[in-house]
Amino acid sequence: MHNLIKLYLVLCLGLSSAYSYAEDSEAIVLLKKMGLAAKKLNYDGVFTYQTGAKLQAIRIIHKNNKKGEVERLLSLNGAARELVRTNDIVTCIFPEGKQVNVDRRPLGRGFPSDLLSRLGSATPYYDISLGEVARVADRSAKKLLVTPSDNYRYGYHLWVDEDTDLLLQSNLLAHGGVVLERFAFSSIKLGVDIPDSLLQPQIIGQELTWVRNKTEPVNKLKITQEALKKGLVWEVDWLPLGFTLVAEQSRRKAQDGTLVEQRVYSDGLSSLSVFIEKRNQGHRHLEGISTMGAINAFGMIAPIHFLTVVGQVPARTVEKVGHSIKLVNY
Amino acid sequence: MTTDENELLSALVDGELRGRELDKAMVLLGKDPSAKDRLQRYQISRDAFHGYGTKQQALATQKISAAILLEARHKPANLKAVDKTNVISLPIRFWQQTLSLAVAASIGALAVVGVMTQPNTQLVPIMPMAAMESTQVLESLGTTVVASKAVALPLNSGNRWTVEEQEIEDRLNIYLVDHNEYAGVSDIFSNARVVAYESGQ
Repeated sequence: MHNLIKLYLVLCLGLSSAYSYAEDSEAIVLLKKMGLAAKKLNYDGVFTYQTGAKLQAIRIIHKNNKKGEVERLLSLNGAARELVRTNDIVTCIFPEGKQVNVDRRPLGRGFPSDLLSRLGSATPYYDISLGEVARVADRSAKKLLVTPSDNYRYGYHLWVDEDTDLLLQSNLLAHGGVVLERFAFSSIKLGVDIPDSLLQPQIIGQELTWVRNKTEPVNKLKITQEALKKGLVWEVDWLPLGFTLVAEQSRRKAQDGTLVEQRVYSDGLSSLSVFIEKRNQGHRHLEGISTMGAINAFGMIAPIHFLTVVGQVPARTVEKVGHSIKLVNY
Repeated sequence: MTTDENELLSALVDGELRGRELDKAMVLLGKDPSAKDRLQRYQISRDAFHGYGTKQQALATQKISAAILLEARHKPANLKAVDKTNVISLPIRFWQQTLSLAVAASIGALAVVGVMTQPNTQLVPIMPMAAMESTQVLESLGTTVVASKAVALPLNSGNRWTVEEQEIEDRLNIYLVDHNEYAGVSDIFSNARVVAYESGQ
């Protein structure tokens, strides 16, 4: 009888874990599909972005064709601001500053294409499971719960469209379940024809000064060799478990030619960037923590560099990573 | 309230007042009820600015404000700040494992020895005006935002960098755009932070 009870318990627990595993697998597949849908689909919608006491309504128009991806975001309340992305070119238009910045990304867009291959590495650091079906933007959506294993990263509640797998709502959660940011579509048209005219900036002509930032990619090998000669190689000595270097680039700023190196570290779902910028005398820089929504930055001033960690991770993470950056002696 | 009075209260919250200026602030708080409300708002904003956002810290903030107001009534020239409490909370993993164990035990028809519930460590304070504004915008959009377990958004998150120097802010914004290329799971929305960036303080 005793053995029978044991067997019963083992079977129950086994079935329970098998069910849980199957559910998790389904959740990971859905997460992968979600990443692809954001790239491949054509959509025109309005979503709200809420952080702290602020709420913004933003229109997003996304088109994918043979030429690649084009995306336009336009703020619907407050000052008119726009961002247009055409593959590797991002144009930010801020009429308040009467300035337009056009930046070319040497590395192109990092995550959507890389996400699928990195999800596997993220699973040890998150519990990923399916929740209940809900309704977002008048569409039926599956809920995904992404819970981090430690408090060096954020969690997510995601609502993914049942028909198309597009992300419809994202709640970014801090440790303890506090919602730090919420993005949620209020209306969306999917699979529609997007005329090119809809992807053109509409706030041209408001006395804007166009500044083209010709941030040319710098030969990384050459930079490293020069840095080595001068004994100026920075290394990140601590990262949360699972974070690895996924991309790096060195560019010169258009305004003054200052060299900026960016290293991107990720665990597959969360990411942070370390920026190493040549310090200009008389210029000031962040010292300590600064926060914007769920993005945290930690800055330090080294004798000849500004060091900054920026990421969609908790403040403690960018701070700890920042403090671990050190010069390597060669 | 006049601009000077607002500045006086702001300086009081920042601990910059001494002597006559401090007395003046105390007198103002003693006679003007709206000054008390404003002081509390400044205190909350200041704490949010410095990243003090937990429930316990919000309570500590209220204690500070209450202490200031009490002093304003009784001892105008002798203010003491209340130390902020440290927050100690068990990792969420612990509670998940506890809950999983309880569920597994129930499946096996075992007696559940004890049930532990997840602590309520969510932030409570929300600016009423902000909540009203948010609700209005959401309603005007006809949105159907799905509420998750925790719907409160903490005060210490805004859509503008918490820095004072324009030069630093500009640099962080450039970094933000660069980092957005690798924003991760909610990539579709990552550039919203750039578009939604506030233009002024």
